[in-house]
Amino acid sequence: MSFQIPIGPQHPALKEPISLRMTVEGEVITDADIRLGYNHRGLEKLAEERTWIQNIYLTERICGICSHSHATCYVQGVEKLMELTPPRRGLYIRYLVSELERVHSHLLWLGVAGHEAGFDSFFMYTWRDREIVMDLLEMISGNRVHYAINTLGGVRRDLDEGQKSKILEGVATLRKRSEYYFRIGATEPSFVARIAGVGMLSKERAIALCAVGPVLRASGVARDVRKEDPCAVYDELDFNIGTADSCDVLGRVVVRVKELLESYKMIEQMVKGLPDGDIVAKAPRKAKPGETVSRYEAPRGENIHYIQANGSDKPERLKVRAPTLANYPATVEMLRKGFIADIPLIFAAIDPCICCAERTVTLVSARSGEESVVRMSDLRRRALARSGNAPVKGNAVWPF
Amino acid sequence: MAVLRTFLYLLVYPGLIFLFVYSTFCEWFDRKVYARLQNRMGPTHTGRFGLLQPIADFLKLLAKEDVVPEAADKRLFSVLPAIGLAVVATAGLLLPVWNFDLARPGWTSFPGDIIVILYLLSLPTLILFLAAWSSTNLFSTIGGSRVLTMLFGYEVPLFLAVLSPAILADSWRLAEIAAFYQARPLLLLPNLLGFFVALIAVQAKLERTPFDIPHAETEIVGGTFTEYSGKKLALFRLTFDVELVVASGLLAAVFMGGFPGGAVIGFAHFVVKTLVVIFLLSLIRALTARIRVDQVISFSWKVLAPLAVIQLLAIILLKGFLS
Amino acid sequence: MSDTDIVESLKRDLGAKGLELANPAPRRIFLKIAPADLLATATVLRDKYDCAHLSTISGADRGETFEFLYHFASPVAVITVRTGVPRSEPRLPSICAAIPGAILYERELQDMFGVTVEGIPDARRLVLPDDWPDGQFPLRKDWKHVRTEEVIPGGKS
Repeated sequence: MSFQIPIGPQHPALKEPISLRMTVEGEVITDADIRLGYNHRGLEKLAEERTWIQNIYLTERICGICSHSHATCYVQGVEKLMELTPPRRGLYIRYLVSELERVHSHLLWLGVAGHEAGFDSFFMYTWRDREIVMDLLEMISGNRVHYAINTLGGVRRDLDEGQKSKILEGVATLRKRSEYYFRIGATEPSFVARIAGVGMLSKERAIALCAVGPVLRASGVARDVRKEDPCAVYDELDFNIGTADSCDVLGRVVVRVKELLESYKMIEQMVKGLPDGDIVAKAPRKAKPGETVSRYEAPRGENIHYIQANGSDKPERLKVRAPTLANYPATVEMLRKGFIADIPLIFAAIDPCICCAERTVTLVSARSGEESVVRMSDLRRRALARSGNAPVKGNAVWPF
Repeated sequence: MAVLRTFLYLLVYPGLIFLFVYSTFCEWFDRKVYARLQNRMGPTHTGRFGLLQPIADFLKLLAKEDVVPEAADKRLFSVLPAIGLAVVATAGLLLPVWNFDLARPGWTSFPGDIIVILYLLSLPTLILFLAAWSSTNLFSTIGGSRVLTMLFGYEVPLFLAVLSPAILADSWRLAEIAAFYQARPLLLLPNLLGFFVALIAVQAKLERTPFDIPHAETEIVGGTFTEYSGKKLALFRLTFDVELVVASGLLAAVFMGGFPGGAVIGFAHFVVKTLVVIFLLSLIRALTARIRVDQVISFSWKVLAPLAVIQLLAIILLKGFLS
Repeated sequence: MSDTDIVESLKRDLGAKGLELANPAPRRIFLKIAPADLLATATVLRDKYDCAHLSTISGADRGETFEFLYHFASPVAVITVRTGVPRSEPRLPSICAAIPGAILYERELQDMFGVTVEGIPDARRLVLPDDWPDGQFPLRKDWKHVRTEEVIPGGKS
């Protein structure tokens, strides 16, 4: 008996809306289909109406996890269009934040993978350690998620000596912990039983379906934008591309942990070799007519922005392709012949960022419900009153 | 008077009210241990050390809206949670904590009660399957089929493992088995292998990680419980809590020498030993990932069942040697 | 292979098909071809230049024509193949036969620019909702979103 089960748009395994329609026979998936379009915000259209500066903050909001990668990719391209050379200290800080972001994103992903496999202890531990890097990012930029540190021609905040030593300290802790997680992730029998041999994607198919990032590298293809299109500082750093040949979810875990370790190496190199000087160069308001293709290795894979300028202070066209979209065709391939139990793992293994992948269309009118309408100010007043009236709780105590 | 005593027995101690209170305590203990192993605090605010949190959760669920799906078999759907709770609560009465008088077998302690308790512990699984099937949800249906598939895996090793101490003690009555091992504590050691097999099988029976496959939320939403809400879900959760107590009590009675020392000291034994078993179960829960249903079957038939058979053979040989 | 080598060999391989060839920045090569030559060019790029990876397809509304840019990424350069189709008759051949991974990008083009991709294996809508009105293509420059007035039940109008 074959029937269709809908995974999404609302499903506990998905943190964002997307619809996977699985045709299953018993526990085995015979066919899969992905439907997008539940989360459109019309960013590309919107970008054509904003100035170059405003668009930095718009592109930052494409994604909630790899916010810095979109902003960096955009800023790289615009700097090329404006023929602007940012000072090296600014570049170092920009890509330092990039690598810290990669660390936080991969730690987040490890936790999610553990959770999808029902390994909640792994999830809790990795997310606890993710707080270290989140605190570092907050210390550098003032924000935990949307760092807003990029600007045209450099970065907006400088680093001092105390911050540098704190980063090194945090990275040393994280490296120790990551090595420990690597051991657990690659040896814990029940976890490995769930991820080894699951979601196979052969090298040929990975290339043909244009997969990117850790998915591609876990199929044994050593491609990384940081190596092949070294923007700014990456050609000055010493790092390797982490790959795996197992072509399955286990390989994707291994690749991501290897990348974590490489990122720690790069962060240390950048902090220790941080050049002196300015952090920002003055940017013009307008860009000459022209076009540019900007690529950046986001935590999820290759991120590409195509920017056209028409001589005004607004872009003529900004095309954004987030890595998740490129991995969808490969995902359909991986899901076929799998088990129902593997769906969340395989889907999570591409590290889907659905809001990244969907950004092109203007919103249709909001659905209105039956609820009474409350103004924001009213809501805030109620919340304050509620928290003010709440009884004071003692500090939590562990009884044993 | 006898009627009143029977009522007290059924409703207060060791009946529903006691089982309710103790099983919520065990849930709290389980949650707390699980949370500490994960570097969290667990329940803290409701009551001292969050002791009342499971009761608060239960009451909250009771107050929630109760939805019965349009397409479901409504009578079956509604009555199953109550039956499930009744079945495990009945199984709870059979534990040799409250009826330890060897000379006078009563209606809760009689030769063959170990078989009855195992049978009563198997029923909730079938009730879960029926509940899943009658709710007609796609995810529930998959969950229901997983419940049954798993049943065929862990049930046989559990029976073999639990029966082998009984064979050595030469009795089918829990109180007598316990008394046998109280007299010869060293004989508990040959059963160690069976204890671990039974522990894993109980973990599977209680559908806890790594065997929480029928209601794996990241795969099939709530699985068997997808359509259950409000009071019915509360009863199902209570069923699992009581089943946790009864199953750990059973393991304690059979593998840990039971609960010697009469009503009070025996009760202290009961609390300590069940908590030890629950602690071990929490450890398993915290340290593993959820496996696939086909892996459960192959694991229980390739590893658990042979181990249980080896245990049984060893016990039979030992018995021949001893006599 | 350096950029100039790629440009030279592209000139040789494509011959008259390559209408324009530019190398404005390091590792960036722009190539212009006619829409009919797309599939052949994609095959050549895939087999000879290690460009099996199609990064994305960008579309741009240039008034009378729509311009489509296929960004192929090889390990040494990004080769952007540019082609234009008239607004009056927007038709484009599919390159899915050469590069299966292009399917989502082509579906997105159909949604956004109203271009018909001929020979696409799966022509369903990708990002637009199923009840989106026909003939509305959001990324065309003349398309403006008109927000319907929200009516909130129980709210003061």
